[in-house]
Amino acid sequence: MSLFFQSLVLGVLLGGLYALLAAGLTLYFGVMRVVMIAHSAFLILAAYLAWWFTSETGLDPLLSLVVTVPLFFVTGVLMQRLLISRLRPATLTMMSVLLTFSVALVIEGMLGFVFSGTQRRIRLPYSGDSLELFGANVAVVKLIAFGLAAVSLGALFLLLKKTQFGQALRATIQHPDAARLIGINTDRIAGYGFGLGLATAAIGGTALALDSTIYPSLHWHWIGPLMAIIVVGGLGSIPGAAIAAMLLGLGQSMLQIPLDTTWAQTIFYLALFATLMVRPQGFFGGRLAQRF
Amino acid sequence: MRNASDTTSDTTPGTAPPVAAGATTASGGRGQKIIKGVGLLLLAAAVLAFPSLAPDPFILSVGVVIMSYAVLATSWNFVGGFTGYISLGHAAYSGLGAYATALLVIHTPLNPWVAMLLGGLVVAAIAVPIGIASLRVRGASFVIVSIAMVLILLLVFQSWGEVTGGSNGLRVPRPFDASVLRPEQHERFFYLHAVLLAVALLAWWAIDRSRFGTGLKAIREDEDKAQSLGVPTFNYKLVAFIVSAFFTALGGGLYALWFGFLDPIFQFSILVGSYMVLMSLLGGIRSLFGPLLGAVIVGYAVEFFKNEYGDTQFHLVAMGLLLGIVVLFMPDGIIPAATALINRFRPQAASIREVSAGELAEQRRTASGTDPEPEPGATETDRLDHHSEGAKR
Repeated sequence: MSLFFQSLVLGVLLGGLYALLAAGLTLYFGVMRVVMIAHSAFLILAAYLAWWFTSETGLDPLLSLVVTVPLFFVTGVLMQRLLISRLRPATLTMMSVLLTFSVALVIEGMLGFVFSGTQRRIRLPYSGDSLELFGANVAVVKLIAFGLAAVSLGALFLLLKKTQFGQALRATIQHPDAARLIGINTDRIAGYGFGLGLATAAIGGTALALDSTIYPSLHWHWIGPLMAIIVVGGLGSIPGAAIAAMLLGLGQSMLQIPLDTTWAQTIFYLALFATLMVRPQGFFGGRLAQRF
Repeated sequence: MRNASDTTSDTTPGTAPPVAAGATTASGGRGQKIIKGVGLLLLAAAVLAFPSLAPDPFILSVGVVIMSYAVLATSWNFVGGFTGYISLGHAAYSGLGAYATALLVIHTPLNPWVAMLLGGLVVAAIAVPIGIASLRVRGASFVIVSIAMVLILLLVFQSWGEVTGGSNGLRVPRPFDASVLRPEQHERFFYLHAVLLAVALLAWWAIDRSRFGTGLKAIREDEDKAQSLGVPTFNYKLVAFIVSAFFTALGGGLYALWFGFLDPIFQFSILVGSYMVLMSLLGGIRSLFGPLLGAVIVGYAVEFFKNEYGDTQFHLVAMGLLLGIVVLFMPDGIIPAATALINRFRPQAASIREVSAGELAEQRRTASGTDPEPEPGATETDRLDHHSEGAKR
C-alpha cells in the first residue's frame, strides 16, 4: 500500500514536468503546425547550462533560470523568424520536422563536443534530503522540480487566458486567417509562441538537472514520450497536453511497480497507437488536430 | 522526359507553338532517350566493374556499405518520393528485417535467402497496422509514429535479451561457408546488393509510370484535391508504405547476412533513418536515381568522416548542418538546386510571357504562308522580346 502511494506521488510529480514540456511542444504545433523535434534537445541543453552554471559558480542551479529563460525565449523567436518561416508553406509540416531534427542533432553533437559524453550530475547540499508526505517518502529536489513546473504552467495559463497577447496567441492557434483579418500580426505572434515554447524547455531543463543524471543523447528518451503525450491530448491543445501528461506520467510510475523501468516506458507508445486507432484527433483536441 | 514534365509542376514549359514544339520534342525525345540509355549502360558498367577496380578489400567493403545505403534510400523513396510523407524512422523496418532474417536463419533450417525474403514479408505484414494507425491522419502524426517506432523497438530489442541477444548483440551465421574468403565475400555481397537495388529501382520506375503512381503523386501535390478527384488516398498511401517497408526490410536483411552481427543501438538508430532521408533529399526525391546519387555522396562522406575522425560527436554536427542546409536551400535535390544556381548567373529573361510577340508573329507567318506587315506599334516590343528570347534559350 505504501509502495502504491509512493508511486502515486512520484507519478504526479513526474506528470507535472511532462505537462510543462508537452505544453511547450503543443504550443509550437498550435502556432506554426510544426513538430519541434529539437524541443527535448533544448531541454537537455538547459540542463547542461544549469549544471555548468553550478559547477562554475557554486550557486544554486535555479539561479541559472535568470539567464536561460530570456536566452531561450530570444532563441525561439529567432529560430522561428530566421529558419522555420523560410520554409515553403505547402511542405511546412514535413520540412520543419527535418529542420528541427537537424537542430537537435547539432545541439546533441555540440554538447558531446564541448562537455564530452560523460554522465553529469549536480551535487547540491539538499540533494539527499527527503520529506515525509502522507506516508510517502519524496525527495526535496523532486518537489522543487514539480513546484517549478506547476508555477510555470500556471503562469502560462494566466498569460494565455488573461492577457491581450494571450488572446492574440489563441486566435492565431484557432484560425490564423481570421486572426490576420482582425489585425493580429500572426507572424510576430508565432515567433513569440515559439519563444514561449523554448522558455518552457529552459525551465524544464533546469528542473530536470536538479535530480537526474544528464548526458547528450538523453533527449531521445524525452522526445518520444512528449510526442506521444501531445498526440493523445490532441495536437495544439494545451489543456489536453497537460491532462494527458498527468495521466501518462501517473501510468508510467504505476507500471514501474510490476514491470521494470524500460518496459514501463512503452505505455507512452501504446497510448499513442491506441489514440491514433480509436480517436486520431486526440482525446482533448478539437477541429485543429483532425487534419494533422 | 515524361518524368521531368509531370513531376515539376512549377516549371512546365507551357504552351509552346504547336508546330515547333512537335519538332523539338520529337528530336529532343530521341536524343534524350539515347543519352539516357548510354547513361544507364555506363552506370551498370561502373557498378559491375567496381569490385575489380577496388584497390583493396577495405574500399570494397565501403562500396558494399554505400550500395546498402542506396538500397535503403531507394526503398525509403517509395513513400517519401511518391507521397511526400517524410519518415524519419525507416531504420525500424531495416532493423526488423535484419533481426527477422537473422532469427529465421538461426532458429529454422531455412536457406538464408529464403529467410531474407520471408523476413521481408513478415516486416511488410507488421507494417500494415502501423500504416493504418499513422496514415489515417495527415503528416504530423505520421512523423511522430515513425520516430516512436524506432524508439520503442530500440527499447524492446535491448530489454528482450533471451530472443534478440539484447545489448550484447546477435551473431548471424554467414550464408557462404568458410572457404570463401573475406574479399570474395565483399564482392559477392556487392553484386547481391546491386541486384536488390536494380529490383527496387525497377519497381519504383514501374510505379512511377502507372496509374497508381500518378495517384500517389497527386497526393503529394495536394491531398485534398486528389481525394476529391476520386483517388483512394488512404489505400494508395498504405500500399506505398507497405512496399517501402518490404524493400527496406530486404535491404536490412541482406546487410545482416553480410555484416554478420546485429546490435540494437545501430539497427534501431534514428541516425540511420535520417541518413535515408538526407540521401534521398539531397539526390532528389522526385527522380528515380536521386536516392542512389545521394547515397553515393552521403555514404562516401560518412565513411570518409568515420575513417578520418573516428566516431566522435562531430559527425552528428556535420550531419545536422548538412541536413539543415539541404532542407533550407535545396529541398528538391542537388540537381535542380545546381541548375537554378547556374541560371541565376545567366542573363535573365526580360519578358515573363511564355511566347514572345516575335515568336507569335513568326508562327503566324509560317502557318499562313504569307508575310504580313508587322504592326508599327509592335516593332519596339518585338525587338525587345527577340533579345530576351535569345538570352533565355
